[in-house]
Amino acid sequence: MLLSLLIPSIFSSASSEASEITTLTLYFIIASVGILLTVIGLLIYVSVKFRGKPGDPEPRQFTGNKVVEGVMITIPTLLVGGFFYLTLSTMQTVLPPADGLKPEVVIRGHQFWWEAQYAGKNAVVANEIHLPVGRRILMHIEAADVIHDWWVPELGAKMDAIPGRTNHLWVTIRKPGVYEGACSEFCGAQHAWMRIRVVAQPEAEYQQWVRERQQNAVTPTTASAVAGAAFFNRETCGTCHRIRGTVANGNVGPDLTHFASRQTMLSGMMPNTRENLRRWLQDPQAVKPGAKMPRFIYSKDSINVLVDYLTTLK
Amino acid sequence: MESKLMMKLVVGSEAIFFLALMMGFVYFAYFPGFDPKSLALLDLTKTGAFTVLLLASSFTFWRAEISHRNGQIGSLKGWLAATVGLGVIFLFGQGMEYNHLLVNQLVVSKGTFATGFFTLTGFHGLHVFIGLIMLAVVLYLTFLGDFDRPQSSVISAVGIYWHFVDIVWVIVFTLVYILPHVVNMK
Amino acid sequence: MITDVTIPEPQAPLPGAGVNSSQGLLQWISSVDHKQIGILYLLMSLFYLLVGGALALLMRVQLMAPENQFLGPEAYNQLFTMHGTTMIFFVLTPAILGFSVYLTPLMIGANEMAFPRLNAFSFWIAFFGGLLLYFSFLAGGAPNAGWFNYAPLNQMQYSSQPGIDYYCIGLLLAGIGTVGTGANLIVTIISLRSHGFKYRYLPIFVWMVFINGFLILAAFPSLNAALVMLLIDRQLDGHFFNTASGGSALLWQHLFWLFGHPEVYIVVLPPFGIISEVIQVYSRKPIFGYPFVVGSGFAIALLAFGVWVHHMFATGMGNTMNSFFAASSMLIGIPTGVKIFNWLGTMWGGSIRFTTAMLFATSFLVEFTIGGLSGISFAIVPIDWQLTDTYYVVAHLHYVFLGGSLFGLLSGLFYWFPKMTGRMLNEKLGRWFFWLFVIGFNLTFFMQHILGVIGMPRRVYTFPNLPGFGLLNLISSLGAFLMGVSMLVFLYLLYEALRRGKRASDNPWDGYTFEWLTTSPPQLKNFDTLPPVFSFRPLHDLNHPEIGDHKKSTDDKYGT
Repeated sequence: MLLSLLIPSIFSSASSEASEITTLTLYFIIASVGILLTVIGLLIYVSVKFRGKPGDPEPRQFTGNKVVEGVMITIPTLLVGGFFYLTLSTMQTVLPPADGLKPEVVIRGHQFWWEAQYAGKNAVVANEIHLPVGRRILMHIEAADVIHDWWVPELGAKMDAIPGRTNHLWVTIRKPGVYEGACSEFCGAQHAWMRIRVVAQPEAEYQQWVRERQQNAVTPTTASAVAGAAFFNRETCGTCHRIRGTVANGNVGPDLTHFASRQTMLSGMMPNTRENLRRWLQDPQAVKPGAKMPRFIYSKDSINVLVDYLTTLK
Repeated sequence: MESKLMMKLVVGSEAIFFLALMMGFVYFAYFPGFDPKSLALLDLTKTGAFTVLLLASSFTFWRAEISHRNGQIGSLKGWLAATVGLGVIFLFGQGMEYNHLLVNQLVVSKGTFATGFFTLTGFHGLHVFIGLIMLAVVLYLTFLGDFDRPQSSVISAVGIYWHFVDIVWVIVFTLVYILPHVVNMK
Repeated sequence: MITDVTIPEPQAPLPGAGVNSSQGLLQWISSVDHKQIGILYLLMSLFYLLVGGALALLMRVQLMAPENQFLGPEAYNQLFTMHGTTMIFFVLTPAILGFSVYLTPLMIGANEMAFPRLNAFSFWIAFFGGLLLYFSFLAGGAPNAGWFNYAPLNQMQYSSQPGIDYYCIGLLLAGIGTVGTGANLIVTIISLRSHGFKYRYLPIFVWMVFINGFLILAAFPSLNAALVMLLIDRQLDGHFFNTASGGSALLWQHLFWLFGHPEVYIVVLPPFGIISEVIQVYSRKPIFGYPFVVGSGFAIALLAFGVWVHHMFATGMGNTMNSFFAASSMLIGIPTGVKIFNWLGTMWGGSIRFTTAMLFATSFLVEFTIGGLSGISFAIVPIDWQLTDTYYVVAHLHYVFLGGSLFGLLSGLFYWFPKMTGRMLNEKLGRWFFWLFVIGFNLTFFMQHILGVIGMPRRVYTFPNLPGFGLLNLISSLGAFLMGVSMLVFLYLLYEALRRGKRASDNPWDGYTFEWLTTSPPQLKNFDTLPPVFSFRPLHDLNHPEIGDHKKSTDDKYGT
């Protein structure tokens, strides 16, 4: 338990919602440790005091006491009442209804990556999601295929992404920083590598970042990158992926318009480096078995130009 | 005594099973609204007639129980045979209806209404079939003379099951054949 | 003077009694004797415990280090699905049925179950259900969508191998068997109690079995309905749970948890009964607050059907729905707490003998309290929003299923083993087993609370090297291996007792209930005559007439 105070956990809350929950959790821990210690204490006392020795006579055969039973029922009932009240009030603060309000961002879970669409803006990113600090924002949580679950422990509640439904979450981030999270509903082969990175930024930086995401992809300049772009289009990568400003317009796989600006690739599985990218393009199923990207047999040269192209997409 | 108690417990458990299937049907058929085309394929009058026959089988079984209690083995045999006959006719009617639907391309995979319809009525039909097996065994044993004495509780135990199957059908019939028309009229 | 009650001969000879007992295996297969079927249930449970445990060890090897390559995702996902399904449906459920079927007729002074052949049928259909589930490994891949098998991941387009079909059929068969046995137990308890055996004299264990029967009858139909609907989806292209064509993902969750949460109580109520018997006898005192222990069993059973949505607090169903189920889920804590403190009250003022059975019962009180308290945190909706579907849940459910259910069952095994086999278990080895198991168990699962708190989701085949993850998972894996070692001690313990254990007397623990009156092991016919029953401890009254409960007034029998 002490360990969890030193490293990121549900106790190192970085949002107002998370700290509401943390406070409630601390009350709960105090109450339950109290109960647990009562049970253990009584048990130790009873075990030492009433340990029988061979030859002992039968002890007094009493069968119960209504006053004791009354206490056993009353105290837990009072505790339950108190915690029920706290539950209701915290629930209302953390996740009030969002009737018809516009979300800041729509998060959509896919097997096995996250799509974030900044509402009203032409900005779509994957897995590394930037959010503003200091303002209460509404997020919509949706799913494209099976049930996923959005969870960033330091930012508070988790929420299921359920196909056919739109769920919502409120979050008021208080500290800038990078927050790790993960898909928390089992969603298939690569559930383990469906991680989330939330980058919380001050408002101005955040707005700047969103503006940059709205721009079209940079046009390749080097010969090799130009060849890569041509290869990308010829091999119909654009059926699944979108690179805004080009003909690639798919929405099955992650949007690659600003791919090279991400720190990690494959939903937080590895750093976004040329070497990792090359390995992935060579044989996706060896790197991340069960991922939806099929294996295409490409020559080394083709993969090199493809890598050259993708790494220019800042 | 024990077999009646057992049958009551089994019927109670089965009731929850049907409740789950019915909730599934209501959820999928009522909320998206009915497809008039699928609904038009269901023949209310024909199935209504078979429903009356199934209900009549509850009556004949009730007569059979009374005959058994009074030791009238001859009429027991007659009423039991009538019950089996009515049950068979009902299943035959359900078979005709399924055939009509399949010919008209309404199959399980046609949509949520069809999936719910076939599951609910199919499981009811399965229960009628199981009931018929039990009734056939009872009839056979009656001819062997097992029920010459009125003490046996086996007949009333089977009766609990058979009446249960009939009651389930009344609800299914209301949910699937009657209420949709009422809902659609509004 | 009061005379003994004669147990009436069965109206017809017991079916199967004609098979000669020297015919070995054939005799076991054809048996309809409740004692043999009870033992078969327990053997099936032990077998699957070893299989399911082996699966768990493989998983813990994979999770020993961050980004380990021991198992691939597909293999791991099949393993954890099979581990959960096996442990719940083919270890805990048959184990509680085994004890119920073996002991209930003995405790109520009957010679058989109400329907002996149905009893045998129920066992064998569940047994073959288990075999069918495991056959999926050979048929192209085991189920891989978790033991609660959420839609739409359970649909053909996401899991095209036949594993989930085998899951449906295997669980349907086992479910039919469980319902059969549940109903059989209820009828037995209602109609076969010996003469004068009033309901208020029933041993706590029999009460829990009785309540449990109704839980089974009411809970399993929801699962069966969900399973047939899923089969129709997968085999006939139906649309119940297929979200791509109008189906509902949440319908599956409602139906599954309407079964799934009561199932938790189904596998924990009989262990509550076992603990009640064990603590009474080894404290040499009657249970404290008999009406409250029984009544809280009823309360738990009723509340069990009103709490299922607490598994779905993170599905966004709205705060009104959430608050209702938060209230009902918290309320369950009260009867559970009543039970814990009544057991402590039973030990209070006693003369406690710490045999292995009593050690398990004592540690049950602590482990189950931990599991129960961590359970309350899921009723507090905002805490649930943080911790559901993390390793904290994994820790919680293992504290309930192992620390609660399995500890109770092991306690019962050490308590009744002499009766079932006529041999005493080695107490010294028993202690070794106990300590290894308890330390291993707490090492494995306590760490997982913290893993959940620091952000590890459940059901991941691997995890990134974040601070704390590696170390805690390593400790958890080492604990699991310790439990593995303890199971070897356990197997040796059973083997040794059966081969050269001391002969057990009829009543080695000075027990309180009728099973200790007959021989160890009991003959095919349990009893010829029985003493009359005047309290819930008929045998104690017989053996200690000077302080027997039968002398007390009705009020004094149940506390002041």
